[in-house]
Order: sequence, then C-alpha cells, then structure tokens
Amino acid sequence: MTPDVPSVLAQLALIAGRNAAPGVPDAERASDLGLTTMLLNLAAEVWDGAAQNLVVENRALRKLLAETGEDDDLRISALTAESHRLRAQLIEAHIAAEQSGDAARQAAIWGELVASTERRKLSISLV
Amino acid sequence: MEHPLAPRVAAYLAAKMPAASGLTVEAMERISGGASRETYRFVARWREGGAPRERRMILRRDPPASLIDTERRIEFEAYRAFFGSAVPVPEMLFLEEDDGPLDHPFFIAAEIAGFQASPQMLFEAAGPDVLKKLAERKWTILGEIAKVDPAALGLTAVMDAPDLDACWRRELDHWEVVFDRDEAEPLPIARAAIRWLRANPPPPAQKLSVVHGDYRTGNFLYDPAGEIHGVLDWEMAHLGDPLEDLAWGFNPIWQFGRGLAGGLLPQADAVAIWRRASGLAADPAALHWWTLFNCVKGQAIWVGSAGAFIKGGNREPIMIYPAWWLLNAQDRAILKVMGKL
Repeated sequence: MTPDVPSVLAQLALIAGRNAAPGVPDAERASDLGLTTMLLNLAAEVWDGAAQNLVVENRALRKLLAETGEDDDLRISALTAESHRLRAQLIEAHIAAEQSGDAARQAAIWGELVASTERRKLSISLV
Repeated sequence: MEHPLAPRVAAYLAAKMPAASGLTVEAMERISGGASRETYRFVARWREGGAPRERRMILRRDPPASLIDTERRIEFEAYRAFFGSAVPVPEMLFLEEDDGPLDHPFFIAAEIAGFQASPQMLFEAAGPDVLKKLAERKWTILGEIAKVDPAALGLTAVMDAPDLDACWRRELDHWEVVFDRDEAEPLPIARAAIRWLRANPPPPAQKLSVVHGDYRTGNFLYDPAGEIHGVLDWEMAHLGDPLEDLAWGFNPIWQFGRGLAGGLLPQADAVAIWRRASGLAADPAALHWWTLFNCVKGQAIWVGSAGAFIKGGNREPIMIYPAWWLLNAQDRAILKVMGKL
C-alpha cells in the first residue's frame, strides 16, 4: 500500500485527535471521520496478508529475473524495499524483452504483472 | 459557530461589491471530497439599494498541495466560457490569484443548489429509465463541449492550442512527468502502457476541442428525473483531441464496478450519443488509444495524490484514499484495456 500503512495510521491518529477538539465545523469533522473510517477498514483488510504477499511476489520476481536468494528480514518495510528493487529490475527486463522481440519472455512478465494485481486486490476494487 | 474563513470571505466580497453594505457570510461549510481544491458553500447576505439581498455561493480554494496541479485561471475561464450555453455550468463571480485574501488562490461562483453529484446515491436511487435519460444528457453535453470552437469562446487566449498531430504527445508528456516526479514505487504496468502508447500513436485530432479533462459520472449535478444542471470540476480543462474527453469516461475505473460506461449504459451506446451530438467521428483504434491514455492519466493522478501525502505537502485523508483505493484498481484497468486481464 502506498503511502505505507504506518505513516497513514499515524496521520489518522493526528486527525482523530484534531477532530476530538471543540470547534471543528460539523461538515469537516464528518468528512474527516468518514474518510478515516474507510482508511482504517482498508488497513485492517491488508494487515494479515501483507508480509505473505510480498514474500510470494519477491520470490516470483527473483525467479523471473533469474536471481537467487530469499527474504531474510520479514518486516513489511524491508520486504517492500526489496519489492521496489525487484520491480524496478522487472521494468528493465520488460523493456529488453520488447526490444528483442522475445514474445515468450514478455508473456511471462505480463503473467506476473497480472498476478501482482490479484495479490493486491482489495475487496472494494472497482476493477 | 462561525467558520474561521467566513469573516475573511465577507471582507473580500465587500471589497469586490462596492454597492453592497452590511455584507455577511453565513452557513459556511466545507463540502467533502475535493482533493484538488478545497470547496466550501455559503450564503452571502447584504443590503443594496435599500433592499436586502441574498445569494448562495461556492468558494473553491487551492489547497497547500493538490492531487492535480493546474492553474486557477484556466478553470475559471473554462467555466465562464460555457456559462449560458448548452453546457450547464455555474456562473463565475470572482477570481483571486493572489495569496493575500485567503492564503491561496481561489474563485467564487454562484451555487447551483438542490442537486446531487454522488454516483453512489445515483446508482442506489435511480431506476433504469432515469439512468438512460441521464446517460443521454451526459454524452449529449459532452458532444456539445467537443463541437464548439475554442477560439470563438476566447479560450485560445488562456489555453495552449497544440497542433492537431501533437495533441496526444503533449498530454502523454505532461502526465509521464507526474510519474517521474511523484511515483513512490516502480510501476511496471503503467510504464509498459506508456511505452505502448508512444509506439502506437493515434491519428491527428479531427479538430481542436475544449477538453473538460475529468468528464465522468460524479462530476455533474443531476436531479431525480435524470436532468443535468451543472458540469463541475474543470480544473484539468485544456485544448486537445475531443476523443480524449470521450475516452476519459471509458476508463474502467469509472464504470464503478457496474460493467457499463460511467455506470450508465454500454460504451457503444455512449459513443453513438456523443457522435450524434458532436457531429464528430469516433475511430475505434483512436478511441482505444485515448482510453488507455486515460488509464495512464488516472494512474498519474493517484500517484500524485500519494506523492503529495508522502512529501508532506498535503496530509489530509482525502489524499490517501484515492491512492489506497485506486492505484491497484487502475493497474487492473490498464491491463484490461490492453487485453491482458
């Protein structure tokens, strides 16, 4: 999730505190708390599967990129940083496959990209 | 309790309306949403010529950092150009580009009161006949926007007028820069789509049109009978290919999970209404290009939203929700339009 969940939760705590104070216009309090509710629900939804999804995805990307190794640090922040590194490399690999006309390689990359959106799909996804 | 902005708005209006005396701003409240502008409604009351006067107004003010970076004047002039035409828009009253009066640039418009914009409320409450009528109006109005001459409206004086064969590149360049500037993570799907768009450009635009830039269900005011009373949110208005505007509503995100264009009717029917109203053609291959482009543009907007939060320019929850809700859904929309999903 971008922005990352801890920074969002910290901000939502600030917003909840701000709205607990007197003098906040009703419509602004309602808007803030309505959005806060929806965001908390999304954070709750992704919590349990976040590390697992990243480990699975990083593993799939390493296989595509012919890299070895495993995730040793299982903190979400570390797994996310590794995901970013691998996905940046995937972009380069995709460009190379397009330039060389390697259809099978392109299909494999597209397959992983489709799978990545399935892993990230929220219950309220519009697509 | 009086809103903190109310006395400042009253002072501004009093200075702009020298014939008014005793001007007050009442019932001021912020309207929820508005990730690109802060939007407030209020009632201005004053005396003029010895008689009491009252007008409901809207204040649209730039936030510290926006989901969309655009010039206030362009939005103001786009509204003003269409006021009183077949394209219903609110009347623009005052434009202020200086930070002094309210800390950020803003404009004040007349409120079109008593109508809804919410897609969710529409889909929950309206029957098929109302949705059909609304769809007819929606794409007819878009056709009216497409067919006007931007120069005749005076808009070429405030908006860039690209060559017909440069419309696509101008827009794609603009939104790719947003990725380069704001993306917080590699986005292989959007980047692949951008490469495809550059490798397979559309034909030149058939004419230079006013492009609303965010014409979708949710950005117009409707009544329960299916009439449209105001087209809103012109902050991304520009001059370009009319198919860009038609295709924005075909971004699968704006189906709202209903499998219909704009959540209202099949895409082919929407295209037919638009063609009839605009008198323009809708080449399927060009429309596909612009639909994929609009998926990329949508993703750039959600990336910008996340970027504004991460960089600290705007930490309001309205900046987070689009990113969390839509970044992956928009990737899936890109995959769908590219035939990968």
